[in-house]
Amino acid sequence: MSNAKSNHLMPALAVTLSAAWLVAWAAGLVLDQGVWWIRIATLSVGLVLCATAMVLWRRRLQQSHDAVRRYLEALGRVNPTDFQEGTIDSAVPPLDANHPLSEAAARARQSLAELCEKLQELEHSRDALDIRYRRAASEHERIKSILSSLDDPIMVVDQFDEIVLANPSAESLLDIDTKGAGSRALKQLVRCENLVDLLTTTTHRKAVESRTDEIEVPTADGATGWYRVTAKKLVSLSEESDETTDNGAVAVLRDIAEKKDLQRRNAEFVSAVSHEMKTPLAGIKAYVELLADDEAEDPETREEFLEVIDSQATRLSRLVENLLNLARMEAGVVKVDKHARPLNEILEEALGVVRPSAEAKQITLVGDLSKLYLGVLADRDMLLQAAINLLSNAIKYTPDKGQVTLRSRMVDANVQFEVEDTGVGLSEEDAQRVFEKFYRVKKDQSMASGTGLGLPLAKHIVEDVHGGTLSVTSELGKGSTFSVTLPGAKQLS
Amino acid sequence: MKGKTTMTHRVLLCDDEIPILRAAEFKIKKAGYDVRIASDGEEAWQLIQQEKPDILVTDCQMPRLDGLGLVRRLREHDDTRDLPVFMLTAKGFELDAEELASQWGVLGLIAKPFSPRKLLETIQAALDSQTVPT
Repeated sequence: MSNAKSNHLMPALAVTLSAAWLVAWAAGLVLDQGVWWIRIATLSVGLVLCATAMVLWRRRLQQSHDAVRRYLEALGRVNPTDFQEGTIDSAVPPLDANHPLSEAAARARQSLAELCEKLQELEHSRDALDIRYRRAASEHERIKSILSSLDDPIMVVDQFDEIVLANPSAESLLDIDTKGAGSRALKQLVRCENLVDLLTTTTHRKAVESRTDEIEVPTADGATGWYRVTAKKLVSLSEESDETTDNGAVAVLRDIAEKKDLQRRNAEFVSAVSHEMKTPLAGIKAYVELLADDEAEDPETREEFLEVIDSQATRLSRLVENLLNLARMEAGVVKVDKHARPLNEILEEALGVVRPSAEAKQITLVGDLSKLYLGVLADRDMLLQAAINLLSNAIKYTPDKGQVTLRSRMVDANVQFEVEDTGVGLSEEDAQRVFEKFYRVKKDQSMASGTGLGLPLAKHIVEDVHGGTLSVTSELGKGSTFSVTLPGAKQLS
Repeated sequence: MKGKTTMTHRVLLCDDEIPILRAAEFKIKKAGYDVRIASDGEEAWQLIQQEKPDILVTDCQMPRLDGLGLVRRLREHDDTRDLPVFMLTAKGFELDAEELASQWGVLGLIAKPFSPRKLLETIQAALDSQTVPT
């Protein structure tokens, strides 16, 4: 038997013995009623002994309860956040080994220690998660900021074909609002079917390679714009296995308006060159065939055919020469020999070159040149070519007996010359396009032959080679004025 | 040479490139056709109003009224709606022969430079296919 148990049995034993004595005394009283005072004295002693045992038992019980209370209070004071291994021993001293609840108290203390440890582990995990969350949120903000700063529209859809991200460029281009409470369904928000198809098929197909397509996108202002769209499937790695799951797609749109415009211009240029070359070729081929088939029955007809072939060949040659001149100048392979020269000298020479063609149409050619010295830093041959082209153009599109005037003057530090005619004039649209290569005003094509390269060549010479400006003002049916302004050069000594 | 039918057929040629127009006129006239020429769509339209040809060969790109404009106008009028038309073009790729045929009933698109001999054969074949044998 343990000591703890024997300590608690002592008072009980005393009470039991006292009770036994009382029973014995009562029995003696029944058997022998003679000596009553002895029995009363004995009874009193028994009662005193019994009372003393009761008091001792109660005191021991109270001490045990106090120990348990202090133990529980100590347990209650334990702070899980301050808990460290071993500290519970000092914070909660164990109950006395003789205490009947000492084993249960020890188990309770052990459970509390384990709970504290688990709680602390959870605290650490929560702190780690909090840090990861903050990092992820910061990264998310950084990516959003980068995407927002990009000019290229970018859009992300999820596996359910809903827009989850669109940078401001994309929202502006597609006229969509992805931040509001409305639907985010790609098909409902985006009007461009080709873009929707590209994103949808990229999201749901198996291949992960990016796809690129050139798409004409309807813009917010009702127009359309050409974009090269690169769509890439988004996949995420499963946490449980190495398998990947579809996670939508991202589309990056690159504005290719300039490229498309260049393609269009190139196509128009090639088409125009083709047309301009095929036309004289058609004449040559037709008359060569007529001659080969011996269709010309007399020498005069044969001579006429040969003259047509010759004139068409000359026309073709002139076209090729003009094309080459323009290409050489644009490529910068023509040597430019700029010196300070008197502008009027160049203009007078140009007037002399075009005078015969003006006289052929009975056009009055007026030279209204400034009396002042107009110095200009110029390549003589090139500037002469530009002036001839402008004068020839004016003579071509001025009806017979009209007038073409060449003026020159000084304007501030610049020198200026202009070619004014009383010709057919240009519409507003034609005036804007008249310097484009091969552009010829349709309604006036029958007035004169031309390659549509003279004015572009003049503009290139004036603006790109000499740093000046060439512009036109015109009134349909009344005439046009082509004005050239060049930086003035200091007067030659 | 199909002399019996060619003498009765009138061919209208329309092109602003006069040398080409004259070459085609020379070849076709020599084959016995009645050839009329016009230097743009408007002039061709005026001639058609005066005496309707049996066939029209027109260039595409012309001042005032171009080839397609002329064909559109022909198709809008009952008396010229069925006029057989061939088109000449020096353009590279802007015109689609199938579209011209399906939308405007153009019999063929002839690319420049063309052979006057082949042009004559094309016109003869088209006119022969329309002549009901007796």
